[in-house]
Amino acid sequence: MKKPHADDKLRTRITDMSAFFHNNGRMPSFSELGEIFHLRSKSSVHKAVGKLETLGVISKDNRGRLIPGSIKSTVKLLGTVEAGFPSPAEEELADTISLDDMLIKNREATFLLKVSGDSMSGAGILPGDMVIVDKGQTPKSGDIVIAEVDGQWTMKYLRKRGEAVTLIPANPNYKPIKPKIDLKIAGVVTAVVRKLK
Amino acid sequence: MTPETTHETTGGQPLTIRSWPQAILHIDADAFFASCEQAIHPELKGRPVITGKERGIVAAASYEAKARGVKRGMRLFEVRQVCRDAVILPSDYETYSLFSIRMFEILRRFSPEVEEYSIDEAFVDLTGLRRTFHGSYGSIADKIRRTIERELGITASVGVSLSKVLAKIGSKHNKPNGTTIIPGRDIHLYLERLAVGSVWGIGANTAALLNKHGIYTALQFARKDEAFIKRYLSKPYQAIWRELNGRSVFGVITETKSTYQSISKAKTFTPPSADEAFVFSQVSKNLENACIKARRYKLAATRLIVFIRGQDYRNYGVELRIAPPSAHPYYLIEPLTEGFKKLYKTNILYRQTGVVLSGLVPDDGSGYTLFDDMVKIQKMVKIYEALDTLSAKYGKHTVHHGTSLLTKQQLQHEGDRQDIPVRKTALFKGENRRQRLGLPVLNIKV
Repeated sequence: MKKPHADDKLRTRITDMSAFFHNNGRMPSFSELGEIFHLRSKSSVHKAVGKLETLGVISKDNRGRLIPGSIKSTVKLLGTVEAGFPSPAEEELADTISLDDMLIKNREATFLLKVSGDSMSGAGILPGDMVIVDKGQTPKSGDIVIAEVDGQWTMKYLRKRGEAVTLIPANPNYKPIKPKIDLKIAGVVTAVVRKLK
Repeated sequence: MTPETTHETTGGQPLTIRSWPQAILHIDADAFFASCEQAIHPELKGRPVITGKERGIVAAASYEAKARGVKRGMRLFEVRQVCRDAVILPSDYETYSLFSIRMFEILRRFSPEVEEYSIDEAFVDLTGLRRTFHGSYGSIADKIRRTIERELGITASVGVSLSKVLAKIGSKHNKPNGTTIIPGRDIHLYLERLAVGSVWGIGANTAALLNKHGIYTALQFARKDEAFIKRYLSKPYQAIWRELNGRSVFGVITETKSTYQSISKAKTFTPPSADEAFVFSQVSKNLENACIKARRYKLAATRLIVFIRGQDYRNYGVELRIAPPSAHPYYLIEPLTEGFKKLYKTNILYRQTGVVLSGLVPDDGSGYTLFDDMVKIQKMVKIYEALDTLSAKYGKHTVHHGTSLLTKQQLQHEGDRQDIPVRKTALFKGENRRQRLGLPVLNIKV
């Protein structure tokens, strides 16, 4: 059989001593400690007590009697739990995200843009708003995109029907755009931020 | 992609037959500052773009501008002569830094071993990653290049080879927006037509020495026997020789720089000035800036170099000893003044000043002697700690030495006001002159 680890032995001794304290309401005497620790000689007990004293588990009064230290609360004794149980609140907080995390998916590909026109007002994007643009995403039909159509920059809904691509505004004062020569999509609008105060 | 030479005409045996004992990638962003500007101002794509307006000289030129004969360091009035339609912009270092960080982050998606070599260059160790990315080193390099182009809107050139020196030759080989792969058996093909002085780390003097021994190309250098190399060249050049032969010596250093050999700060001002007090205030501000950086890295200087540059571009410099070592302007202003007095001549117009803190030692208080006034030194430590805290909260130079005051009362550059980048003037609600969101802004009118 494997020899018990020194730390394990120490831990058992502390638990046994603490059990004695809790059962009897007082600290054991040196001879009682001998029984608890399975030690025959007083000097071995003395040595063991010295070790526990340096660990702060117990201390001695001026007449040499033992005073309980950290063994008073059994939770602290077990060493491994000394760090404390995580509070339920902490556990819950592990599942929250910051506004940054919510608004930005791929930071390296994310850009800001200040809106100047009102062609997307129906989608809740107004002049002066900040939109977050992701250049890493592949634009899908229905996305709001920043695009260059025949040399002009615009922000519109992207609609794909088979081969045909149309840019649709969200404001009746503007007309849908069908690219004649070429269409370049600079990025997908993933969020709009409007700070009021 | 091999050079336009065929195997028959090239110089003989390969330098090594091992194809990929290790794979090092070097990436170099193309015309970085100008490309960043084109990325955030898409209407400038395809046009000659130049940055450095606030300095009066070209800091970076887009490939379109380079094609018209614009070169780095050219004066802006010369630019207007060769390229009338050049778009000249003030430098927006905040945006360039954001792009730089992003480029490094993208590289880290591919390999954890990334060395940030400069603002627009990096080395990446790709050894062993072929299986992870299901492809050759060339396909990984292309994927990196394409990701950077798609997400950042800038292009970069990439070289992959067996060592850093060779990877750097690769990235230069096919610029802009190219990938060059140099496996062991092809090294000699790339070195044959390369002047030995173009190899990374070989300067004009070493090239001249090698020329004297009949070595003109990088290949001739690589083929020299070890005895010759050891006899005529010092350790760093022996390392370059090994790297050229495909034996990696310089590892990819992943940790960010935490120590410096020296710290230098220099700044130009326009118009040039002959006003002694003003020129000294510039030197004094350089000193404060250098000390701020030294304190950030917990270093103290034992030597101080002061230099001033005249309008004729001639430099005047002097080196002074500092004892005990310090990073506190309070103790350095006196030697600075002494040095400045030696250099300054009336009736000369100066355009730039600078200081270098060198002989840097850890600022752990070990450099003091029995005769130093420790109480006062401790007091100074506290004062500068408070000053650094104020700077962090309210901006650099919120509190500064009186000797630097004149730099605040006069614009660093004439006409400075219109030379502030858009990012600093067109703010979002909640941003201010000092602090802005850490994301680049696209300047598109939609």
